[in-house]
Amino acid sequence: MPNSRMRLIIALLAISVFPFALHAQAAAPGSPAKKQNTSSVSRVPDFSGAWAIPGGASYDPDDPRGNTLEKLPMTPWALAKLRAARPGFGANATFEAVNDPVQKFCDPPGVTRMWMYPWNFSFIQTPDVVYILYEWMGFWRPVALNRKHPKSPDSTWMGDAIGWYEGDEFVVDTVGFNDKTWLDQVGHPHSDQLHLIERFRRVDHDTLEITLTFDDPKAYKQPFTSKRTFKFSTAPAEVTHCSVTEMQSFDDEVMKTTTQTPKK
Amino acid sequence: MKYGISKALVLAAGCLLFSNFALAHHGVSGYDVEKVIQVSGTVTSFNWSNPHCLIHLDVKDSDGSDKDWIIELAAPTLMARFGWTKDSMKPGDTVIAQTHPARNGATTGLSGFASELLKFVVNGHELPSH
Repeated sequence: MPNSRMRLIIALLAISVFPFALHAQAAAPGSPAKKQNTSSVSRVPDFSGAWAIPGGASYDPDDPRGNTLEKLPMTPWALAKLRAARPGFGANATFEAVNDPVQKFCDPPGVTRMWMYPWNFSFIQTPDVVYILYEWMGFWRPVALNRKHPKSPDSTWMGDAIGWYEGDEFVVDTVGFNDKTWLDQVGHPHSDQLHLIERFRRVDHDTLEITLTFDDPKAYKQPFTSKRTFKFSTAPAEVTHCSVTEMQSFDDEVMKTTTQTPKK
Repeated sequence: MKYGISKALVLAAGCLLFSNFALAHHGVSGYDVEKVIQVSGTVTSFNWSNPHCLIHLDVKDSDGSDKDWIIELAAPTLMARFGWTKDSMKPGDTVIAQTHPARNGATTGLSGFASELLKFVVNGHELPSH
């Protein structure tokens, strides 16, 4: 083949490959043009996939089933709240006359209690925000990666969450909760002073572990820590809605039947 | 047993593992989860909806009359993950179902929640269980 033709072929091949090379460079993790913290981006842990939440009851690390309550270091305020709660689970479980706001009114379970609802969740990791998506009610939390908390955050159902990566962990720091939710399924309370730290770590491909630290001086005399473990799920994502009318219908049809003395 | 219940089974103590965990939107203390009974009847409705799928069965009483049994299952999303669909049964089907009976003697039972699904045989075919 003449040299001029060979040089033309080589030039045409180079031109066709060049755009892909540019794209690969631009898309490469850790690209300085895209990321603020290039030293950690190349080591961003991968939490992709769906994660199955097993059932749960209590955040007392010594009594996760909630068989014996009033063991956490509660303040008098929190103890009164716990004793007023009529949950469906744990040592104070009742089937009828519960005052669980989720069961009664489809209120949001809240961030901490959501980790005990046996539905799946997923992460969407972007450079500036990590989104946590829950199947239960389609709730989602944005975790901002590039700012601090507002000086005076609003009190909301899900709080204000900021986060960062530390090695193989994703750390989420949340404040600004309202006090309308229960900490867990057995009725442990939290106040609007709750400062929650969640550390997510992918132990292996199929296992995700979260360590929660609860710092709530109005409710607990000292911070305490608890853990939850989730398993990788291949189930397709679906949203489960909580409807007050459906809950009321179920209450009339099943709950009352199962609690009232049957007619002979 | 009064209501077309062919036999009562005592579940292994392992069921106690689930008795306090939040595996339904409500607690399970209204049911005797340490006990499993078997109920046979004809489907009158199969409600595939939240918060819990419900089966209504006509079950023959000892005097030959039909009693309405309500069998509670998990939410549709969770039932689908066990392998059930909204077409797993329909009115007129014959069902043999295992269930945890209500403590107050009502004709209701709990057969499925997030981590457990008791055995159902519909028209002679066994559905997925867990």
